[in-house]
Amino acid sequence: MSNEIKENGVSRRTVLKGAALGGIGLVGGGTLLTSCGSDEASGPVKFAIRSTAESGIAIGEAVAAAYTAETGIEVTAQSTGDTGAFQDGISQYLQGTPDDCFQWMAGWRTNFRADQGLLVDLSDNISNLGDQMPDGFVSGATNPTDGKQYIVPGTWYPWGLHYRKSTMTELGLDPESISTWDDFMKLLDGTQKKGLVGYALGDSGGWEAMGTFDILNVRINGYDYHIDLLNGRQKWTDPKTLEVFKQFELLIPYMNKNVLDISWEGMRDLLLQKKAGAVMMGSWWANDFLAKSQEDYDDLWIVPFPEINPEFGRDSIDAPVDGMCAATNSANPEGGAAFAEWLGSEAGMLAAQAAGETNFFANSRLDSSNLDAFNKQKLAVMSEVKNVMNFLDRDCRNDFASTIVAPAIQNFLKGPKEINGILDGMQEAWDALPELN
Amino acid sequence: MALTATKKKSRRRQAFTRRDKFTLSVFVGVPAFLHIVWVWIPALLTIGLSFTFWNGVGLSDIRWAGLANYNTAFTASPQFWPAIRNNVYWLLWFGLIATPLGVLLAYQIDRRIRGHKIYESVYYIPVVLSLAVIGVIWNFMLGPGGLVQALLGYSDIKDAIPIFGNFKINTYVILSIASWRHIGYIMLLYLAGLKSVDPSLREAASIDGATEWQSFRKVVIPAMKPVNVIIIVITVIESLRAFDLIFIIYGTSGAWPILGMLVFQNIYGQAASMLGAAFAVILLLLSITPIVVYLRTIFRDDI
Repeated sequence: MSNEIKENGVSRRTVLKGAALGGIGLVGGGTLLTSCGSDEASGPVKFAIRSTAESGIAIGEAVAAAYTAETGIEVTAQSTGDTGAFQDGISQYLQGTPDDCFQWMAGWRTNFRADQGLLVDLSDNISNLGDQMPDGFVSGATNPTDGKQYIVPGTWYPWGLHYRKSTMTELGLDPESISTWDDFMKLLDGTQKKGLVGYALGDSGGWEAMGTFDILNVRINGYDYHIDLLNGRQKWTDPKTLEVFKQFELLIPYMNKNVLDISWEGMRDLLLQKKAGAVMMGSWWANDFLAKSQEDYDDLWIVPFPEINPEFGRDSIDAPVDGMCAATNSANPEGGAAFAEWLGSEAGMLAAQAAGETNFFANSRLDSSNLDAFNKQKLAVMSEVKNVMNFLDRDCRNDFASTIVAPAIQNFLKGPKEINGILDGMQEAWDALPELN
Repeated sequence: MALTATKKKSRRRQAFTRRDKFTLSVFVGVPAFLHIVWVWIPALLTIGLSFTFWNGVGLSDIRWAGLANYNTAFTASPQFWPAIRNNVYWLLWFGLIATPLGVLLAYQIDRRIRGHKIYESVYYIPVVLSLAVIGVIWNFMLGPGGLVQALLGYSDIKDAIPIFGNFKINTYVILSIASWRHIGYIMLLYLAGLKSVDPSLREAASIDGATEWQSFRKVVIPAMKPVNVIIIVITVIESLRAFDLIFIIYGTSGAWPILGMLVFQNIYGQAASMLGAAFAVILLLLSITPIVVYLRTIFRDDI
């Protein structure tokens, strides 16, 4: 009861913030009603699902129900609403009345907030998972500042070129055989000549085209250069960076003409409607194909981006890890941490799998012997990989990635000839950033 | 009753009763208090923060930055000058096209042209919608897969013609959408003003041989001075505070930057500086300056 009063006292603030946060405040308000009815000693848990897609919400609700069934602890699961707004407002969200447990991204986005004391230290929870959690994932989730983990790794997925097997067979093309840039150009040419979009891209969200930039940079200049560039140890004005955009420009003639009007959803729909050849995207979106129909999912395929510079071959890939965090300022941070741990455990992962989660699970107990064909192919995409990246906006400080890089790439797509000025502006903006404290 | 009231008033012009004082302090004090708490304290805090580097979380992390954020805003923000340009376009478009159109419509409707009631309702309807809702509506209409695209025969996403992402036309499209509401708003304000203008003034002017245009310019506009002030102030404020429409159409991607969006991105987001606060202060100065200058000249004339 005292819990409820406390919540009531701050809920006004939450509602005010909610107006900008795309309804997150309302999530807090809505759960008030549910928490009234519960007398659980361990306390109910509020869980934020970082997705607006039907498939993502369904999986989140299913794991919440499975946790309740197993432990008797009530979980209120709700979507965060627009994920872009949730992402941008995360600091405010975590300082207000956040949900106890929320889905989040490993890398800079977690570590920065952990340093500010907004996230619960989950190191103990991760060590409870023992050998279920492979070392690679633990080290990937470790905050370099203090050596602790603030996110329980949940799922991961590789980025690659997606296409539909049926479309390519119809066109008589074989994407599986592309290994060099010339092969790739021929493939794009072939699809475009048949009236399809050769290289589908939608960048109205600002992040979608970062995937293409990442892969071109590691293919041309290598992993070390890429990570150094994103952390200020290399320059955007360097001719090597310019070369990446010159290569990017070669793809523009094969793109749909409304790149800045559509988002990743448009890219997905182009592929669902069989209007596109190759699409560079994280394979997390396979969930949406499966949600549409088994047939669409079975038709989906992924291959690694071709080699450009033989020195680096195909040795790097964006393969971001998503996971669960617990918020320090929530009503029930212990409950949130326990739920995050359970979600990372075998039982939680099995529940997600049963609900239609197609991404790979970090948990080692999950049987990977009976993977479906698409998942096996996702592993094949990783076969030559030596370096794994988290994606541009998770490898780079956020006050540069979303406010500078995103519009810069949009401006490049709009006027590729102005790239020199754009890169100068990016470097100036980087140089003006204050030190992180 | 009225008589006694006036008597009382004339007798006690200088000295308020205790009750008057109480009423006055409640009626003036409460709004003033709320205004200070909700507007001026945050504004002053923002001004203070704009001279710091801070991530918005721990108070102990605040570091003095001097003018660094302003320096960044003016010299090292690729989005700043494009944003200023877009705000200026917005102001010019509203000032030269949308507001005069609203005034013209009000004038025509006031002359009771045929069907004026219908026009009045048609132009007023968008005003009841917020710009955010208007953004959603036009996004559905013009975006890929939208109604207009379908009517033009481009119902497929693949063929959808670029509109919001087409930088040859999107400025005009956005400003037209914003005007859709602004015109009706101005029309209504002006219409209310026109109704209060004594018709005999215009009659007298036309008897003296003034043309329609002359009587509008020389008689109606001067008689409408208070409304004109409001309309000019509203036009300036609406142009500079533009945010919601852009947020709905472009999200926070910054494809069509405006100052309001830069404030939001850099203060609300994930920054380690207080660059957003500096943008907010720049926006505050831009909004306040023309209004203060204008109001001062207007009220000086009156006195």
